[in-house]
This record gives sequence, structure tokens and C-alpha cells, in this order.
Amino acid sequence: MTPTNPKKRPDWARTILLLIISTVLLSPLCAVFWLSLRPRLGTDIAGPTFTNFVYIFRNTEVLLWLSNSLGVSLIAAVCSLIVAAPAGYVLSRARGRAVNAFSLTIFAVQSLPVIVFIIPLFVMFAQVSLVDSLAGVAIIYVATSISVACWMMAAYFDSIPKDLEEAAWIDGCSVFTTFVRIVLRNSLPGILSVMIFSFLLAWNDYLIALVFLRSDSQFTLPIGLQTFFQQNQTDWGPVMACAVIMMLPPILVFATLNRFFSVGGVGGSLAGR
Amino acid sequence: MTLGTAKIDKKGTRFGNTALSATQARRLTLAGLALPSILLMVAINGYPILFAAFQSMYDGSLLNWGEFVGFGNYAEVFRDPAFWRAVRFTVIFTMAGVLGSWAVGFGLALLMLKPFPGRALFRVLLLLPWIVPIVVSSMSWNWLLATPYSLLPQAVEAIGLGRVMFLADPTMAMITVCVFKVWISYPFMLMIMGGALQAIDKNVMEAAEVDGCSGLRRLRHMILPMTARTTYIAWILMVFFSVNDFPTIYLLTGGGPLSSTTTLIVMAYRTVFQDFLPGYGVAISFIVTIALVALSIFLLRQIRKSSLQ
Repeated sequence: MTPTNPKKRPDWARTILLLIISTVLLSPLCAVFWLSLRPRLGTDIAGPTFTNFVYIFRNTEVLLWLSNSLGVSLIAAVCSLIVAAPAGYVLSRARGRAVNAFSLTIFAVQSLPVIVFIIPLFVMFAQVSLVDSLAGVAIIYVATSISVACWMMAAYFDSIPKDLEEAAWIDGCSVFTTFVRIVLRNSLPGILSVMIFSFLLAWNDYLIALVFLRSDSQFTLPIGLQTFFQQNQTDWGPVMACAVIMMLPPILVFATLNRFFSVGGVGGSLAGR
Repeated sequence: MTLGTAKIDKKGTRFGNTALSATQARRLTLAGLALPSILLMVAINGYPILFAAFQSMYDGSLLNWGEFVGFGNYAEVFRDPAFWRAVRFTVIFTMAGVLGSWAVGFGLALLMLKPFPGRALFRVLLLLPWIVPIVVSSMSWNWLLATPYSLLPQAVEAIGLGRVMFLADPTMAMITVCVFKVWISYPFMLMIMGGALQAIDKNVMEAAEVDGCSGLRRLRHMILPMTARTTYIAWILMVFFSVNDFPTIYLLTGGGPLSSTTTLIVMAYRTVFQDFLPGYGVAISFIVTIALVALSIFLLRQIRKSSLQ
């Protein structure tokens, strides 16, 4: 098919090629879904069932881990917005040497390996009994998301015309009131992107939870799932049912919000992979 | 009203003496807005790094600092053959991660450049390995190839290639971890390179096509140079991601067998939290940090050079 051809027929060959490639690439994930719906060993149900899901909610602590994970991720998302939105506003609107230093610091923080500050943080947190506590983990999640969150907010604020603020200033609003009433109120997509970003970062984290959470009752889903997996290596059904629950929120977010937000921005939450 | 004058003052119109205090008020508010993030970064990033710098000069345990040994830990790290093995695998892992994921991601982006039925769906579907939590994907790969009775080893044996130990054999484990990394990271490259490809002027490509420029030559002489800047940036980011990557390796092999898949970050983690030698572990992580900073300065210079030409 040449570009000069006016009648463009749908390129089904390409669809089939990509279908084959996707099948190969996504087969491990398909296996997770398939195994989660397979009947448990020793039962005589044929075909797909939800017995694995019923089993993990009744017989394991998955529900507790799920609520821990949801709680921590939501708190991290809200706090990271509260910290990042004003900072992003400064990055977007203020100029000067101090602001340059501030933006450089934010950039530098992002490029440091997490492991460097995790070790001393463990010692620090042990002294204020924040080890094995969800609050402690949430604080670190906010800190790890902060630099990207600031840049995302700043980029969004850049897209809001300054005329609105200037009008508000002339009407006698203070900088702070203008920021809250005018700028934030017009930034819903930016706010949502930052919250989703921070939520997913916390939801997907493994290393920080592994280091800081020690007891079963404090586990988030990734750590709980990993422990559960190590105890039930051969019994794949319940493990994979748990895995399906774990991967649903990120998949839903991407499937529904893909059109509304730049995937690049939200996708940044998984940076580090 | 005073703040309004401050703004106008900035634009060059003077409004008397109140302007100065208004500018100060504005500055103060902006500083106040930046304050929470600064405090957080100082408490969670800044102070711990200083703390770690001191700790790397002591030889104690996690909660007891032990004795001051100066740069003894660093000297010991550089004499440790395990460290150099970890350096070797970190380099292998990073190269494989960067080039492999770029090749797969860029290839897929090229494939999906022209419209075809279902393109929007594939764009989301192919991002899945990156979206799914790493604990889940490592588990699915474990199911696929961890034991001799798993699906992939059985399939390989059925084809007649003999028994392959994907995670138990040191060399095979290194290859498997690298492939796993490529699988996780290609969607990042797909997104970034896809964006760069869409920014290329379509008329230029079509003109070349009409002039009889073959696909390969277009790729080499047009598409690659036109996306070079994005490629460099994506590579740099992926170098950081790969060197700092912990869960990808730890969840699949734990750094084994025989430490063959231990990167510097995994080694640092194990030294601190399994061998309980924080000074030594922190020294390793500092060496990684310094190497990364040096590397990024070098690479950023290269980008500047290439964009100047």
C-alpha cells in the first residue's frame, strides 16, 4: 500500500502480527488470571470458579493487607498533593536564584537511589517508633513521590494563564488566596494526575514496605502477597487470586483514564522499573 | 490592593513606597508555599544522607554504630571480589535493560506508527507489563519458569533442547533476569519512542517514500537521527532505573544462585539487612550514587554536544 493510494484498506495483517506479539508478551499475565480462576486442588468443580477468591478472603489476611494498602496509598496520594501543589506553584510562577536552587534540589533528590536514605531512615524511625508502622511508610512514600509530583503540578500550572491571577490580585486577593481559589480550582486534571501518580507509586512499592513493615498485621498487599506466596508455593490458585486483586487498581486506572491524562505523566509513577 | 501594586511594580510601573513591602509579602508567601516540600526533603532525604555518610565510616551494627574506621569500609569494598562481581553484573544488567528494552519498545512503536484496526487497544495492552505491580509479574514469571516442572522448562525439553535450569543455573539466571527486566521496561520505551515518532513530520517521511527511499534507509538516515535526542534521554533514564532497580532482581532470584545475579543495590540491601553490616552496605550505596552522578553529568554533556550539532 503506497501513501498515494487514495483508498486505504484497513491493515489487518498488522493487527494479526501485533496480536501474536501481544499474546507472547502478555502470556505470563494471562496465566495469572487463568490460574486464579482454576478450581482448587482436591475439589471436583470443573471450569472457572471464584473459589480461590472466596478462600483468600475467608482464610487469609488478604482483606487486612488490602485495606492497609488502600489506606497507605490514599494517605500518600492526599499528602503528596498537599505538599507538591504549593511547591509546584512556586516552581511555575516564581523566578530567582533561590527558586533555581530549589528546583535543582528537587531534581537531585529524584536521582538518588532509594536504598541510600532507607538505611539511615530505618535507624531514625526506630528511635521514634515509626518502624513497622503504616504512618512511617506513608511518610516515605510522600517523600519518594515528591519530586515528580512537584514537576507535574508545575507543568500543569504553567498551562494556566496568569491573567486570572493578576485580575484576582488587583481585586485585592492575597497570593495564597489566589493560589487556593483561582489556581487550584482550575487544576483538577493536574491534581488528579498527581494523586493517581502517588497512589500507584505507593500501591506498587515493594522495597520500602519490605524494609519497614515487620508484622503480619501491618503488611501492605505486596509484602503480604510475597509472604503468602512463599508459604504456598505449590498452591497457585489462591496466590494468583491475590495477585489479580493486587493488579486490578493500576489496570483500571490506566484503562479508564488513559484518554484523559497523558499516559506519560501518570506512567511516571512506575519510574524506577 | 498592595499585592496588586506589587505585580504592577514588577512590570516596571512604580506605585510609591508600598510596593517594596508588597513584593516582600509575595516572596514570603511563595517561600511559605515551598516550605512543606523543603522540610520533607530535608527530613527524609537530606538528613539521612548526611547520617549515612557518617555511618559509612563506622563498623557497627544497625543500632550500634561501633568504631570509627574512616574510609576503611570503602577500602574494604574495593578489595572485595564480591563487589567486583556485583559491578560486573550491574553493568550487564544495565546494558541489557537499556538496549533490550529500547530495541523492543522502539520496534513496537515503529510497528504501531501507521493506523490499523485495534491500534488504540494494543497501545494500552502492551503497556501492561509496566503497569502491573512487580510482585505480581515476578510471581507470574516464577510460575512460568522457576522449577523444572514449570511450563517453560517443560516446553523447552519437549522441543528437544534438553533440561534448562532458568533460575538454578548461574549463567541462565543472569540471562533470565535480564530478559525479565527487558519485559518489564519495554513499555516505558514504547511510550517515549512512540511519542517521538509521532512528532516526526509525516510529509517528510512520505516525500522520502515517494522518492523511493527504502524502509531500512529511512530508518537509518531519517528516523534514527530525528529521534536521537529522545533516545539519549530515554537511555539515561533507563540507566538510572536499571542501576537502582531492586525488586526486579530480588523477587525473581534474590540475587542468587551463588550471587550470580547480585547487583550493587541488591548487595547493599543484603549487606545491611541480612548480614547486618550497615557501614559496609552504606559505603556500597554511596559508591553507586557517586558513580551515577558522574555518569549522568557525562551523559548530559553528550546530549548537549549532540543537540548543538
